[in-house]
Amino acid sequence: MTSSFPRNTLTGAGSTVPVRRGAAGSKQRRELTLIWAFLLPSLLVFFLYRILPLAWNVILSFQQFSLFGESKWIGFVHYRDMLEDEVFWTSLWNTLIYIASAPIGILLALAISLMVNIEIRGRNLYRTIVFLSYPLMTVAVGIIWRWMYDEKVGLFNFILRYLGVIDKPLPFLQSFEWALPSILLANVWQILGFYMIILLAGLQAIPQNLYEAASIDGASPRQQFIRITLPLLRPSIFLAFVIGIMTSFTSFDLVYVMTQGGPSHSSELLVTYIYKAAFELSRIDYAAALTVVQFVLLVVLTWVGNRLSGGDAGARETG
Amino acid sequence: MFNWKSLLRPSSLLGAALVVAYFSMATPALAQQKKISFLTWNIADQEELFKEWIAEFKKIRPDVDVEWLDKKGPEFPTYYQTQVIAGTPPDIINTQGGLWLEYAAAGGMVDLTPFMARDADVRRRFNADYLANWTYDSKNYMLPFYISKSLLFYNKTMFKEAGLTAPPQTFDQMMDFAAKMSKGDKTGMLTLNFDWLYWPLFQMNGVDLLTPDLKKAAFNTPKAVQVLDALAKATANGGINKVSWTGRWVEPNGAFAAGNVGMLHAHSPAFFFIRGQAPWLNADTFGAAHVPGGWATPNSHGLGISKGSKHPEIAWEFLKMITSEKWTARFSERRKVLTGNIASDKTTLEKMRKDDPLAATVLQTQLEQTDKLTGNWRLANDSQVKAAFYPEIQNAVLGRKTAAEALKDAEVKVNRALAR
Repeated sequence: MTSSFPRNTLTGAGSTVPVRRGAAGSKQRRELTLIWAFLLPSLLVFFLYRILPLAWNVILSFQQFSLFGESKWIGFVHYRDMLEDEVFWTSLWNTLIYIASAPIGILLALAISLMVNIEIRGRNLYRTIVFLSYPLMTVAVGIIWRWMYDEKVGLFNFILRYLGVIDKPLPFLQSFEWALPSILLANVWQILGFYMIILLAGLQAIPQNLYEAASIDGASPRQQFIRITLPLLRPSIFLAFVIGIMTSFTSFDLVYVMTQGGPSHSSELLVTYIYKAAFELSRIDYAAALTVVQFVLLVVLTWVGNRLSGGDAGARETG
Repeated sequence: MFNWKSLLRPSSLLGAALVVAYFSMATPALAQQKKISFLTWNIADQEELFKEWIAEFKKIRPDVDVEWLDKKGPEFPTYYQTQVIAGTPPDIINTQGGLWLEYAAAGGMVDLTPFMARDADVRRRFNADYLANWTYDSKNYMLPFYISKSLLFYNKTMFKEAGLTAPPQTFDQMMDFAAKMSKGDKTGMLTLNFDWLYWPLFQMNGVDLLTPDLKKAAFNTPKAVQVLDALAKATANGGINKVSWTGRWVEPNGAFAAGNVGMLHAHSPAFFFIRGQAPWLNADTFGAAHVPGGWATPNSHGLGISKGSKHPEIAWEFLKMITSEKWTARFSERRKVLTGNIASDKTTLEKMRKDDPLAATVLQTQLEQTDKLTGNWRLANDSQVKAAFYPEIQNAVLGRKTAAEALKDAEVKVNRALAR
């Protein structure tokens, strides 16, 4: 029996699998057919709910869309409008600030993970307490924090005035300077638990014998952290970072509940502006163009993050 | 062992036969039974009333099924637009404020003028000024569902403490009263800010938003700068509560209900919200008046027919029924609103003067000075003009820009929005 070696894409790039003729070959073809048969429904759903809407969205971004009539092709008009749109630039800048707050959350979560990874009594309780914020509905979190920030009856103003830090209440959510940082704090509080779980799982996957060997060799705890913990935690940090970026791009409910993007767009994110453009301003076509920009930004940032963490989602060793 | 596969073929044939039989019998019945749907705006508390509407309509048109849907305000445009794109818009929609204009201007609403010409008694039912609120390009697109406009509520106790005896008669007096009543945690005044509800504060000073042809901004005037500057100063020194410019419904109304605000510039539904939260509120402690000059922004709810409706004639029949005196009176009684139906509003007010005189005082203002409605320009892109204008107002009143800078920037943005 002769065999030929065509590339089998299911087994990965560069590999070849001998396709045997005869009974064995037909068995392999049946297996391949079965694999595709199982994959096809998911791929179909993926195509219908991800690829098709994405493609339609891109096409829409080049059209003047009419809800009740015919749409027409207008080329790059929406993208040109974006360049002159102050709100777009403000929301883009705010989104980048939101992304930049992710490392702060990750750092805090790392510190907490290191603490709750120590063998101490009650560490499971501490882990639970920190994690508890994550499963809460974001809308509920937004409402609670909105009340905590309230100028008249809010907890923060009460504490700050009681401690003598301020003598007049601060209008956190009505202030151009404080609105976005106030939302960021609420966001970090909510997602901290989730980052902690990811980093904790990464910490627990690090073999203990590495630390033992390092101790024997005289490495200090700081050196062990920098030379062992951090490099081996890279995939987890990369994952947390990607989730942080995605949260920045999808953090609609928190902003909508707390400030609705105000005052005067000072806490507007791209995602809330997209919603407003589509459903409050009835500019679905312009919203589509904004979405395309957001998507490109997301892809670029994820690529940059991957490169900074050494490639392969942080799994590859560098240096 | 029993061979289940042997049953497969006969089972499939039997199943197919049953399906064919069902649709053969059902299709004539399905073809005869029609269906209309109506979508309301955040009024789920009237479910019982709507069921009664549907039951009554079923007696008139047994061949028609009626479905009721309700969405909260922020969800409404999202839901409606997605239904329009899907080709299944609700036949009848109830909108608040100026949203209907965007749909009508884009050709999404049925022109009701021919229907009203044919059924002349329908037009005669309604308060003409309120009915005219829903005209665009000389066509009438909606019938009144329930009507409201802005007015001034005031806390008589705070007025007395500040040595004030009557509501303000001019803008300057209003600012002066606000300053006098603001002490410590108390503020002098609040206004609602959505849907142009704050516009009477400008209109009473002779400021127009746009030129008469609605093609260019007309508000960047020395007077407007003066007004905006006064509002900004009052906000900075506590005369006007900041939540006027950043809150929407719960915060400003809640603040007034707490009894720490001297005046509230809001539309009539706010009264019922406040009363539910304000134990201090009674005829001795609460007053309602027109704002200086009598200007008011309407924030009424209308009922219209979607262009995509498959049964516009049936939808019209349904509309006629629900806006009749019988049903508007029932609605009025249950929800304590005025409906724009002249006869039932008269009956409602007469009854309310005996049963709830304070509410009657508030609602009476809604039928007065209806020739001084403002903030209801027939703009096809009303929301875009609002979105271009209001953030600059916020910039000024919250101290980020001077009034002159804010109005200058607003003028550029509004003109850009109008030019689209």
